[in-house]
Amino acid sequence: MAAVLSSVSDTDCKKLCHRVVDSLCGQTPIHKQILSCSNQEWLDLLNFLTSLFHKTVAENHSEDKVLAELSEAGVSQSGIVLDVLRSRKEEIRQSLLDRTLSISSTTLQDFDWQLKLALSSDKIASLNTALLTLSLDVRENGVLKPFSIELNRKELAMLITSLENANKVLLQLKG
Amino acid sequence: MRFRFCGDLDCPDWVLAEISTLAKISSVKMKLLCAQVMKDLLGEGIDYEKVSKLTADAKFESGDIKASIAVLAFILSSAAKHDVDSESLSSELQQLGLPKEHTTGLCKSYEDKHTALQDKLRETSLRLGRLEEVSWRVDYTLSSSQLKQVNQPVVQLKLQTQGAESRSSETTVVSVSADKFRVLLTELKQAQTMMDALQ
Repeated sequence: MAAVLSSVSDTDCKKLCHRVVDSLCGQTPIHKQILSCSNQEWLDLLNFLTSLFHKTVAENHSEDKVLAELSEAGVSQSGIVLDVLRSRKEEIRQSLLDRTLSISSTTLQDFDWQLKLALSSDKIASLNTALLTLSLDVRENGVLKPFSIELNRKELAMLITSLENANKVLLQLKG
Repeated sequence: MRFRFCGDLDCPDWVLAEISTLAKISSVKMKLLCAQVMKDLLGEGIDYEKVSKLTADAKFESGDIKASIAVLAFILSSAAKHDVDSESLSSELQQLGLPKEHTTGLCKSYEDKHTALQDKLRETSLRLGRLEEVSWRVDYTLSSSQLKQVNQPVVQLKLQTQGAESRSSETTVVSVSADKFRVLLTELKQAQTMMDALQ
């Protein structure tokens, strides 16, 4: 496995390491394209790098420990691997935080809102009521589920009051 | 002829026909009947026993009772819908042949409850979902299988809502990271400011 990594140029090695981090952070999975090796060797290398990056950030290992692990595996380009790790540590951590958040719960992926003035209805000719449509993209087991709700002034005030109370606790935690 | 209480349209034939049914009961009784219909429109319920007593003198059959309730409900809700003042309503009803005493009684009830009725109509206008209740909990995540030291707060949010079609309520539970939560709150406040500026 280490031999495969050693066989490529430094630039390719760097590129590969970045790709591994990309896939760890939930972006596009990588394809075997840079290296010429057997599928098994490729998978071994991928697993090694992925788990190295994951473990290092998850358990906050020191760089010495990473270097020791790399030399144990016989990787000669440890400097390059370490560089990639250093520069993308925060990104990996953020992705692990996101994964933590989605453990056994539905998470808020995104939200959008729209403010409308309802002018008229079948019940009353001049309605003139402001309504806020709040649409939440909720991720449940990896599947996005849209959820939307219409709020009038009173309901919006209720929601904001409630959220502000929660925000107070968040601010206390921060301070 | 166009009538303001009909939204500047012709008066429907059935309304015209049933106005003469209304004229058969005394003006006092009609005023009381009007109060019952108004109660129904405001969502307080109608007392059918009282209604049948009120109409007993005029020897109303059940069809006539239904028709008079329907016509009163139409007049009151349609006038409120188009925001007609009681004086205009009075003159239009007299043009349609409702006796003056009857008209006065009806318009008095209308004038008294005009605002409440409009509020009710506004409230019952089509809504695509309503928010019923909000519950929240702030958690502090210490550690996870993915990350040894997390130390991040997370907000659990439960929204109880009423759907557009069904009357039953739905609940949505979602966890929101602290950063996203702050953005959500800030944007909702912006929207609230804009909403307040509208009125």
